[in-house]
Amino acid sequence: MLIRSEPGPGDRSGDRDLLERIRRGDTEGAATLFERYAPALLRFADRLLADRGMAEEVTQEVFVKVIGRAHQYDGRAEVASWLFAIAANACRDRRRRDRRAPVVSIEALPEPAGHEEGVEGTLIDREKREAVRRALAELSDEQREALVLARYHGLAYAEIATILGISVGAVKTRIFRAVETLKARFSQGAASWNAAN
Amino acid sequence: MECRELNELAIDRLTGQIAPAREEALAAHLEECAGCAREIAALERAWEFLGEDPGLEPTRDFRRRSRELLEEEMLRRRVREFRPRPRWVRPALQAAAILLAAGTGYLAASRRTSAALVPAADAAVTPSRLPDLNANPRLSNLSYQPVSSGGKVDIGFDVTTTYKLEGSPSDPEVARLLAYVLSGAAENAGERSRAIELVQQHYGTGVGETSPDIVHALTATLRKDSNPGVRKKAADALSAMPMNAEIRAAFLDALRADRNPAVRLVAIDTLAAAAKVSPADPSTIQSLRERAFDPSENGFVRAKAASALKTMEY
Repeated sequence: MLIRSEPGPGDRSGDRDLLERIRRGDTEGAATLFERYAPALLRFADRLLADRGMAEEVTQEVFVKVIGRAHQYDGRAEVASWLFAIAANACRDRRRRDRRAPVVSIEALPEPAGHEEGVEGTLIDREKREAVRRALAELSDEQREALVLARYHGLAYAEIATILGISVGAVKTRIFRAVETLKARFSQGAASWNAAN
Repeated sequence: MECRELNELAIDRLTGQIAPAREEALAAHLEECAGCAREIAALERAWEFLGEDPGLEPTRDFRRRSRELLEEEMLRRRVREFRPRPRWVRPALQAAAILLAAGTGYLAASRRTSAALVPAADAAVTPSRLPDLNANPRLSNLSYQPVSSGGKVDIGFDVTTTYKLEGSPSDPEVARLLAYVLSGAAENAGERSRAIELVQQHYGTGVGETSPDIVHALTATLRKDSNPGVRKKAADALSAMPMNAEIRAAFLDALRADRNPAVRLVAIDTLAAAAKVSPADPSTIQSLRERAFDPSENGFVRAKAASALKTMEY
């Protein structure tokens, strides 16, 4: 199995209880839900928008909306899917408002936490990360959304379909086309990095 | 298995959503078909390579700001649960109303006053009769208009009943109410923007001294409001007020950290205008230099910062 997605919120069993606490006005319930999902939503928004500031604003916007709409949650989808759907919509709104090219300069990329392999190793890692970001930026918005949810968040096709409001077949098509587009680019990049090492 | 089935199976395998039987069939096919084996190996390399981007981690500052935002939002959205009254309350209230009416009539007759009773709906509520703002009541149907005589203002809002407050903008209670509205009592970004506009109409004209409560509420809005439009409105309102240390600090923060270029432009204009009145302090010049020479900065902001520096230095 090659999924190797990032660690997510894990146990989702308490999510609905947290929403109920938010509905009742429990601030700690909102804080717990934030701690559980903010890291994943921040990474999701950053990969779609390629802008840390906007990603942080989108993440906050998601939780503000959750507080305002907790009573509207009907339980048909997982709470996680609901959160990602709100984030995906917020990202689309941002892209519509700010059509800047989603390419990040190497200086804008975050330093990896706890990285202690020296300057050369850091530079190589940063080059790789920037290559990933540039490649993601070349995909269509629709392909990038589906790919990021599948690759980095390990969501099932049905969940991605719910989040994006499309069919399972369309999800698989978008993911495949995205990976096809990336294939040639990453093959070239991998060769050059192997040579550098 | 046919080669044309490879695409779907490859994605199922990459995402870990392939059925065991299909996985076995795919493995068997790949042993026999070199073309499909090359193709799937290339797809897998691309998939693996995506993992080179570890993604962002929330910073401590982001967590802190977000927690503050959520706490404020929870306070504003706090729902007051409706509790049905016990059955004995209604007749008791009716009896109390009858007693109150009788008492009022007796007092009115005994004083033999000729003044007409003012309908409650039209009566102006004095500042001392404001609802308890410390309980964070949600205000709705905000209205705000100048009263013709004496430069007073008239502020209307609903809590559980309709309140009307009339007083001078320099009245501490009026200022406190306006600051409360700005600090988050308004229900949404549109209402917060409207509140700022209303404040700006009165306090931004330079007539009278600006309330410290209002300045504090506006600087907090400029720093913390999640909506860039509201932050821009707060910046506009502050730009029309006499510069002081608190306003300068808020604009310097906005110049350094606000994500919205329109807000940063207002900050530059305001700081540059203040520098014409009194020499700019080193932190203002430093912040403007950073904006002017930051290659990742918005082009308009860079140009504006450079222009502002030019007027200061020459």
